[in-house]
Amino acid sequence: MSDDLKTKVQELIDSMINPAVAGHGGFVELVDVQDNRVYLQMGGGCQGCGAADITLKSGIERLIKEELPEVAEVLDTTDHASGSNPYYQAGKA
Amino acid sequence: MDRLLLLLPTTTYRTEDFIDAARTLGVDLVCASEEPSTFEAHAPDHLLTLDFTDPDGAATKVAELSARRPLRAVVGVDDLTTVAAAAIAERLGLRTNAVAAVTAARDKFQMRQCLAAAGVPIPRFRRIALKDDPFLAARGVKFPCVVKPLALSASRGVIRANNVDHFIAAFRRIAALLGRDDVEVRGDAAQFLLAEEYIPGLEVALEGLLVGGTLHTLALFDKPDPLEGPYFEETIYVTPSRLPAAVQQAIERVAASACTALGLVEGPVHAELRFNDAGPWVLEVAARSIGGLCSRTLRFGTGMSLEEIILRHALGWPIETLVRERQPAGVMMIPIPRAGRLQAVRGHDSAASVAGVEDVTLTAHVGQEVVPLPEGWQYLGFIFARADTPEAVEAALRDAHARLKFDIA
Repeated sequence: MSDDLKTKVQELIDSMINPAVAGHGGFVELVDVQDNRVYLQMGGGCQGCGAADITLKSGIERLIKEELPEVAEVLDTTDHASGSNPYYQAGKA
Repeated sequence: MDRLLLLLPTTTYRTEDFIDAARTLGVDLVCASEEPSTFEAHAPDHLLTLDFTDPDGAATKVAELSARRPLRAVVGVDDLTTVAAAAIAERLGLRTNAVAAVTAARDKFQMRQCLAAAGVPIPRFRRIALKDDPFLAARGVKFPCVVKPLALSASRGVIRANNVDHFIAAFRRIAALLGRDDVEVRGDAAQFLLAEEYIPGLEVALEGLLVGGTLHTLALFDKPDPLEGPYFEETIYVTPSRLPAAVQQAIERVAASACTALGLVEGPVHAELRFNDAGPWVLEVAARSIGGLCSRTLRFGTGMSLEEIILRHALGWPIETLVRERQPAGVMMIPIPRAGRLQAVRGHDSAASVAGVEDVTLTAHVGQEVVPLPEGWQYLGFIFARADTPEAVEAALRDAHARLKFDIA
């Protein structure tokens, strides 16, 4: 079951998610799927990006859940502090 | 399910904490930024691009969305979004401050005019046009003074001047800062600066929530590092305050009177005040919550975050308590010691191992160009601590900071 879901998530990442985030120099990798929870890692412009949470929660997670309603949650395992080229950098107003 | 709109600038530190709070509450979240999301085409009802500098335009665009799928609340997460959030909420008839009140709070000159008219204690001030000759403008200024932009936050561009030469240098430096590509100011904020009397004394920050015009103090932070200039770098915040209870009450009363004078009645407030023999003085009142990642020092009731309180209030949901946990807590905003490119950070594990330190979060990345105050707009990171006393919190923060080494070249 988990392997099947993993394959479907990977297909979504390849066909819809990575083409979208590539516009900001980013990419997403599937780390694992366990108990219907999807673990992802973000890289490139997404790693350390000030908008990474928006992309993950309102973009990626929404898309995955719409396409694969059995997914309970999408979790970010990225070490954002190590991002060397974030697309947006947080700072003071 | 209630729908909530968060206004999240791409440069804010606050995104993660507000999104986490929205998830905890289980609302249907709509996120708006000033730049398009890579997923906007996939989720047009949940991802918006709004021009935060055009509050009317933003309100019109959101009203169209809300007509199809009504919103229950709108929250701007930091300074850049307060006016747009108020304009949108006002248009939709949602809980908010009046746009005029938030606009006044966002403009340091308008704010001082309102406060002075209401008799709230503030430094004497003058607005000076950037097109004026600074030498001539300095004639009307009493020294020492503090020169600052009308609209930037977190001490950016704030410079003490002890004499005419200092004033002229500060004037030119702020004018150059306002012309930078990474500074977005318009209208009066792009054409004027503010010179105000320097007020000696202890500085505190009050975090509050306005409910129906009543200010509830959520936390009063001491700032134990002296802020005497020439720049006013925010570093350590510790709560609860070690000031006597009577002084704290006086500060809360003055902060509440400042909110009333501005017409602020709902939502978060972050106020900066000084205290000396003459009593409390209001330096700033912002219609937003504390900046950076500093809110992570605050927990309420059984662990509720500041962001959850703000969202619950905006949604009109019940709030279990506004009482902060008893344990003293603090944060250090790690300042940028000099300009350059960050090459390496050493000592993270050692800093994190200091007793009382809960977390050391580095927000600057290796390779990043870093700029110190007064031009700078970022921190290297944040250190968080909790301990049995405010003194122990402060000591832990200082110890952890001393163990961090930033190679900047």
